[in-house]
Order: sequence, then C-alpha cells, then structure tokens
Amino acid sequence: MTAAAAPRRSPLLPMLAVAVMAVLLYLPLMVWANYGPAARSLASGADLGCPSALACATQLRNPVLPSPGQLAGGFQALSLPPTSPLSAPYNAVVTGGETLLGLALAVVVGLGLAVLLVASRSFERSTLPWLVASQTVPIVAIAPMLAVLLGQYGVQGFLPKAIIAAFIAFFPVAVGMSRGLRSPDALQLDLMHTYSASSGQTFRLLRFPASLPYLFTALKVAATAALVGSIVAEISTISFSGLGKMLAENSRASDTIALWVIMVYGAVLGVALVGLIGLIERVATPWKART
Amino acid sequence: MTVTARLSAPRRLSPLGPLALAASLAGLLALCLLLARSAAPVSGLPWLLGVLALLLVGAYGVRWVAGGEGRAAHVLPAAFTLLLGVLAAEALLRAYAVPPGLIPTPGLVLQSLWAARTVLLQDTLYTFGLEGLLGFLLGTVAGLLLALVVVRNRFLELGLLPYAALFSSIPIVALAPVIVKAVGLEWPSKTLVVAVTVLFPVVIGAVRGLQSAQPMHLDLMHTYAATPAQTFREVRIPTALPFVFNALKVGSTLALISAIVAEFFGTDGHGLGFRIQIEVGRFNLSVVWAAIVLSSIVGIAFFGLINLLERRFVVTGRAP
Repeated sequence: MTAAAAPRRSPLLPMLAVAVMAVLLYLPLMVWANYGPAARSLASGADLGCPSALACATQLRNPVLPSPGQLAGGFQALSLPPTSPLSAPYNAVVTGGETLLGLALAVVVGLGLAVLLVASRSFERSTLPWLVASQTVPIVAIAPMLAVLLGQYGVQGFLPKAIIAAFIAFFPVAVGMSRGLRSPDALQLDLMHTYSASSGQTFRLLRFPASLPYLFTALKVAATAALVGSIVAEISTISFSGLGKMLAENSRASDTIALWVIMVYGAVLGVALVGLIGLIERVATPWKART
Repeated sequence: MTVTARLSAPRRLSPLGPLALAASLAGLLALCLLLARSAAPVSGLPWLLGVLALLLVGAYGVRWVAGGEGRAAHVLPAAFTLLLGVLAAEALLRAYAVPPGLIPTPGLVLQSLWAARTVLLQDTLYTFGLEGLLGFLLGTVAGLLLALVVVRNRFLELGLLPYAALFSSIPIVALAPVIVKAVGLEWPSKTLVVAVTVLFPVVIGAVRGLQSAQPMHLDLMHTYAATPAQTFREVRIPTALPFVFNALKVGSTLALISAIVAEFFGTDGHGLGFRIQIEVGRFNLSVVWAAIVLSSIVGIAFFGLINLLERRFVVTGRAP
C-alpha cells in the first residue's frame, strides 16, 4: 500500500486547517443565506432590533443557517445544567442507553440466526434472501406502528425503543457473525477433528472466538443504524426523554438553532458509541494485532 | 473441501417433500378461506396449533426444495417461505381477530395496494425518482470527485478523511430536520439529505479502493513506460471498483430510507414518507403497509440493479 510506505504524519495540523477553511467558507454562506429572509422581514416592517439586513443576518430568530454566536448560545442554553431532564446531554445519555440495550438484543438474535445460517443450508436458502430484503425495508417507517403495537401489549418505556434499535441492528450482526463462524479454514477444523472434538467444542473453542473480530466490525456498522432506530422510535412513541423527543419538539417549534445543537449531540453520540465498541473490542479480542 | 467444512451432510431426496409442501400450502389456504367465511372464532388456540403444525410440514417441504444444487434450489425455497409466512400470518391474524387498526392482514394490504395504486405509485415516483435516485447520483458523483482530489493530495487526505468518517456517523434523523429547515419543504431538501448520506460511504470506499493498488502492478506499469493516465485507467480504477461498488450497495439501501425519513420532517404533500406519516395518524395501517411493501420492492430492485452493474463492470475478485 502506498499510504503505508510514506512516513506517518500527524493529521492534527491538516485537520485544523480544513476546519478553519470550512468556517471561513461557512461565514459568507451563512450571511448570504440569511440576508434574504432578514431583508424581507425588515421590508414587512418587523422590528428586528438591528439597523440593516446585513446586520440582522446573524441575529434572526429562525435563521436559515445559524451564526457561530447563535450556535454557542444554543449550546449553552441546551447543555446547562447537564443533569436537568431538559438538557441535551441528559437526553443523549438516555438515547445512548436505549441504543446499547438494542445492540445487546441484536447480538443475541444475530448470534442465534448466524448459528442457524451456518448449520443449515436449507435455512440459509429459504431465509437469507428475506433477511437481505429486510434491509431495504424502511424499518424507520415501521417504527411508529411497532411502537403502537408493543404499547398495546404492555411493552413500554425503555424497551420498545431498544427493540426497534435491535430490529435494525440485527442484520449486520447476523451476516457478520455467520461470515465469522465460517472463517476458520479447513486446516484448523481438521485439527479440531483430530482432537476428536465434538461440534459443540469446535464451536466454543474455534468458531466462536474466530467470529469475534467479525462481530465487532459488524457492531460498528450496526451502532449508527441502531442509533437512528432509537431516535426514530422516540419521535414516534410517547416519550419523555431522549434526543428524538427533543428533535420532534424543536422541529414542531421550528427552533432551528436547537435542531443544530441536537444534530451535533447526535453526531457526538454516534462517534462515542462506535468508540465504546472499539474499546470493548480491544478487551474482548486481545490477540488481534493492533496497527 | 474437507468433510468437516460443511456442518450438515447432504440428504437423500425423499418423495414426501413435494407432498408435504403442497399439503401445507393447501391446508393454510383452506384455513384462511374457512376463517374468512365464518365469523371470528371464540378461541384462537386450536387454530394456532393447526397453523403451527402446517408450518412444520411446510418447513419439511421447503427443506426438500432446498436440497438440490440447481437454480431452482436457490430461488424457490425463499419464495415458498414467503408464501407460507404470508398465509400463516393471514390465518393467525384472522383467528385471533386482531383489529386491522393494529395489524392489517396481508390480504387487506394487497387490497389497499390495489385500491390506492395511483396515489401510491405517484408517491413512489416522487420519493424514489426525484429524491432517492437524484440524490444518490449527486452523492455518488460528488463522492467520487472528492475521493479523486483527496487521493492526489496528501494534506487533504490527512485533513479531510477523518471528518468524512466523523460525518458518516451522524444519524440521518438528526441531520434531516436541519437540512429541511435550511433548504425548504420541497423535494430539493430531501435530495440533498440523500446526497449527503450517500456521499460519505462513497468517499471512504473510493479512497480506500484507489489506494489499494498493489505496488507490484504499479511498478509493472512503470516498466511499460505507461503514462499516469494509463496507469490510472488500467490499474487504479479496476482495483478501486469493488470498493466503490460496495459503498454504492450500502448507499442504494440508504438512499430510499433517508428520503423517507427526511419526508417525516416536512414535505409539500408528496412522497411515501408523507403518505406513511399521514396514514399512521389515521390508523389506516393497510395503506401504510402497502406503501412499505412498495418501497421495499423499489429498494430491492435498485439494490439488484447495482449488483447487476457490479457483475458487469467488476471483472474478478471482491473487496476483502
């Protein structure tokens, strides 16, 4: 690989440069986007408390693109105090917990499916096409109905969101695990055979450990998908906390700045979840060489 | 392949297989018809046991179908599984008299799919054509261009790629309301959401693919005194294509889903997402399921198209 041959440089400086460039590009774009609405509301005689449309562009109540100052203000308003049930960090933790519970469920279901897929060819042939097809189903569209349904049968609170998250996340896990369970090569399997290991022992000592790296790769993909699932579930069920609830409220109230802040929190949560899975991977598969 | 490589040994074909399958299908169909003609029974339990027994018989039949090696053994088991599942769901939903406002029976869904076909097809065209497909193309083209720039410039690679990985973990649902608020309620905002969600996988896949050319192949091109353009065409692009197609496959399923999600946050009254949201509110769930079925069909067809293109253009090997 050519990239590996070059001396490794720290990405910090280029990342910083790109970030500065992005901010410099964003500022004129923001003023340009907000100039029109500001000029229109000034022309309609609204008292915005600023002299010209150009000055108003950074202070609109509902900006097309918020100015950095407004974003900072929004962050302060939504983040402090972080333990309040109305603050974004608190709600992000709630959503993160639901997603993790969903991922745990997805691992259980995915492992079971993977074992069946590997063990029986007729099971694979009769269900794998539909498992693949289930990924093109807009599961997020089913989420509202699933939530109603689960509520009808007394499943409430944390669990429906976790189930919907699991519904989205189980597929990458099942596919990754079945690939992992098949990954031991003939030589390794023959060795187990010469030890006269039972198929249960082969599974426990060879197939399962061999599938773990695949599991974690799949979980990293599944994590963001599951996060989407739990947020959508929060939007469409009656929920009193979570990023989805905040999104729904602020989308209805057209609070653009809050939506931006929640988006950033959602992104941070997504990155944190993937990071957490990476951390667990390090502990669970210590034999894998790190680069 | 060694003996141990496959867990299940090949079975001998039994003549009972087709009989079991036919009996199971006929039995389930008869149950559905019986339940449709009589009023809802008092107790669902005997029906449940009957359906389960028929399903077991059917599973035996499906195993028989999946036994061979021909093309039929790859296609038919899945088709029969779907048929059995749909019939069993219909029978059970009728036997337990589940209100259609909770779960509509498959038959009801098909009826409303037919009854509302013009509206639903219009919505599908709007969501898939204007938003999904256009956004997909936009995101793919932008992603490939960005990848080309990033690969040629080491500074940008170090500075930009980490952000691409970062952005790709933003949940679509958090991104969509922001973009819809900024761009407006009409279709361009949804197209943009789709483009953004497709963009990052494509960038990451294409960059990884363009960098995965083997030094040996590059050296060989060098000894042929090939121009950089020739090397690019003959070595870099063929090695990058499997990676790009993997990203496109991910993107093809994401495109329709993100278009539908984006429509949840505001539309001008068209699209499958809008339809789903409206009909859920009216507890008209059979139309909702019809919309979901339609969008899945379109999604599978789109995924299949990308697969077909991959088979046409990627000559050998697969991305690891």
